[in-house]
Amino acid sequence: MDIKDFIAPFAVWKRAFEKPFTVKKPIDERPGAPRYRGFHINDAQKCIGCGTCEAICMNKAIDLVPAAGYAAKEGDSGLRPRVDYGRCCWCALCVDVCPSGSLGMSNEYVWIDSDPEVFRYTPGVEAKPWDGSPLGYRRAEGYRLLEEQRVEMPELDYKEAVQTFLELVRGYSRQQAEKEADRCVSCGVCIASCPAHMDIPGYINAVREGDMQNGLRLLYETNPFPEACGRICTHRCEEACAIGTGGDPVAIRWLKRYIADQVELADYGKVLPRAEADSGKKIAVVGAGPGGLSAAYYLALLGHSVTVFEKDSEAGGMLRYGIPEYRLPYPALDKDIGYIESLGVKIERGTAVGSAVALAELRSRFDAVYLSTGLPAAYSLEVPGDKHPRVLDGVAVLAAATRGEPLGLGKRVAVVGGGNVAMDAARTALRNGAAVDILYRRRKEDMPADPDEIREAIAEGASLVEKAIPLEVRDAAGAIAGKQALFVWNEARMVQKEDGKRPVPEAIPGAVHEDPYDSIIAAIGQGPDLSFIGEADRLELRRFKPVVDGFGRIAEAAAGAAAEPGAPASASPSKAAAVFAGGDLVNDRKDAISAIADGHHAAQGIDRWLDRKGS
Amino acid sequence: MDFSTFDEALDLAIGREAAAVQFYTDLLALASFAAQKSVLEEFRAMETGHVTMLTNIRMRGRIELSATAAVDLALARRLDAEDKATAVMSFQDILVSAIKKEERAGDLYADLAAAASVPEVKEIFQRLAAEESRHRRYFEELYESEISRDN
Repeated sequence: MDIKDFIAPFAVWKRAFEKPFTVKKPIDERPGAPRYRGFHINDAQKCIGCGTCEAICMNKAIDLVPAAGYAAKEGDSGLRPRVDYGRCCWCALCVDVCPSGSLGMSNEYVWIDSDPEVFRYTPGVEAKPWDGSPLGYRRAEGYRLLEEQRVEMPELDYKEAVQTFLELVRGYSRQQAEKEADRCVSCGVCIASCPAHMDIPGYINAVREGDMQNGLRLLYETNPFPEACGRICTHRCEEACAIGTGGDPVAIRWLKRYIADQVELADYGKVLPRAEADSGKKIAVVGAGPGGLSAAYYLALLGHSVTVFEKDSEAGGMLRYGIPEYRLPYPALDKDIGYIESLGVKIERGTAVGSAVALAELRSRFDAVYLSTGLPAAYSLEVPGDKHPRVLDGVAVLAAATRGEPLGLGKRVAVVGGGNVAMDAARTALRNGAAVDILYRRRKEDMPADPDEIREAIAEGASLVEKAIPLEVRDAAGAIAGKQALFVWNEARMVQKEDGKRPVPEAIPGAVHEDPYDSIIAAIGQGPDLSFIGEADRLELRRFKPVVDGFGRIAEAAAGAAAEPGAPASASPSKAAAVFAGGDLVNDRKDAISAIADGHHAAQGIDRWLDRKGS
Repeated sequence: MDFSTFDEALDLAIGREAAAVQFYTDLLALASFAAQKSVLEEFRAMETGHVTMLTNIRMRGRIELSATAAVDLALARRLDAEDKATAVMSFQDILVSAIKKEERAGDLYADLAAAASVPEVKEIFQRLAAEESRHRRYFEELYESEISRDN
């Protein structure tokens, strides 16, 4: 070994007392570039917690975590992304992909702390000095990793459509469906907003993979009306869709329809689950609408013998008698109903409970009864003259159209109301050659109808008269007396009378109109027909609604609260079968998918009740 | 008609509320199914509560009702006053009856307040009119949310 090898280490001592080259900061006060990828910032109010950032991060540096002050609600998971800077590589893919555009990055890059745990934090929730910084990396204007626009749905031209009752929406081709399915980021925020909690990402993925059988199986897990809901669902899921925060929401409804359309009814049995062994229990369902038949389907799967009592000559309820065939063709509805019947569900058509058979009789013949009778009774205008022969009920008009009866609406028709029944009645009148005015008491943006329905009704030629308060219906005078009615209405202005409440339409003095119409269709709302429930049935009702527990069981009035599910039969306040209820009769949502969800839920409740009752 | 004392004014109000209780009792006797009876019983109980409240006020000798009238939604005047056959009364029919009844009571108290020459009595009728406006408003809101939801 050379002598220098011994001396060299001591040579460094000559620098021991020199000023070091290290500095307190790596770089003194040197700002990052304006679009530098510094630490994350998140507009937590804008963020919906969809987790797309978490999914795209290849370093698994992002976790969606509960955040104080952000509760889960429709269209928002209530979670917010937490970033781990021990893993982050600052690639900014999370920023590029963020559907809502809430994520960005500051140009700050200096963060010194002795505690390594602090470098994992939730931007926008835990305050940092760079919050609100205008500088830093942002998704460039107009640049999106995700496709903003949905695949356009082929539809009949409106001028053509209004001449016919052919289905307006034609449905996606395979290529279109797969392209649309590709827009979904599988975040699942939509699931909570669907009353039936359908596995939406799952069945959209099935479309993407071309696996229609798996798609159908996933649909039927919570919804035995995919053909119908694929056409007329109120699609609350699309309102919650993460992609919709920055573009068109994924066409979830149309993709559901695509799956159901691809599988022949004859093949359903090969894909869908078979019924369990016969339980020996008999269940009566009152009403063959979507809610009643949904309950029947799931009860049949559980091995129970189900008989559905339907007052009309065909099953389907409002899906058949309240929705025109240009929106829901009867073969599509028949396909859904056909599969339910194929499981052994018996539908006694034309059998009205109350007149043909008493509720008490059902309670003695069956082990449980489910009421899903909906809202068949139209409310009247409740203005002087509303019993004029030219004032018609919207639900009755739609039912007559379904039955193929002549409507005799005439050439000029007024539709009063802003809900889906009003829109369907208006569009039915248009298809019968009438000129149609839709008169609504509030503004267009207040209308409860599906926005698509409003848009289509207007596109087909209906004239919308907003802020029109009905005052009176009078017989027309002169040559048209007895043939037409005069509809008297008052122009209104919207007045904010109370803070926190919606504006109220207030009549403008003197702005009264009198217009002659051949028919005036009232569609202001519908109520239940509960005349089949007598006092002797001892079912608790409040404001024309059954009072139900968490599983839809109606409380028994005379004995106070309902017995707990699972209580022995002797503990029941009544020896008669338990009665459950759901759908429009009970819930406030008043749509098919909520009725379907109620039916599914009640089926589970009935099964549980029977199982624990042990009779 | 003029009232000169606190007690006279309240006697009239109590009499009217008792008549309202009887109104619902009469309807109940004619109702044909359980849902009708349930609503009528609920509304009758409300009126019974009003009788109790006014009776307590009379006993205490001082009125404790707010003078603030409810916001007028202008629904009551628009609704048709035509009576419906009781046996087939829908929820809408029952609510319309209730709204019109509250409206008539409010109008009566307002008229009595205008005609009253004794300040104390005038104030009682004004407060009773305000109370009736709040009852009417309650039913009107129920009508808007349950009946006229598509209009």
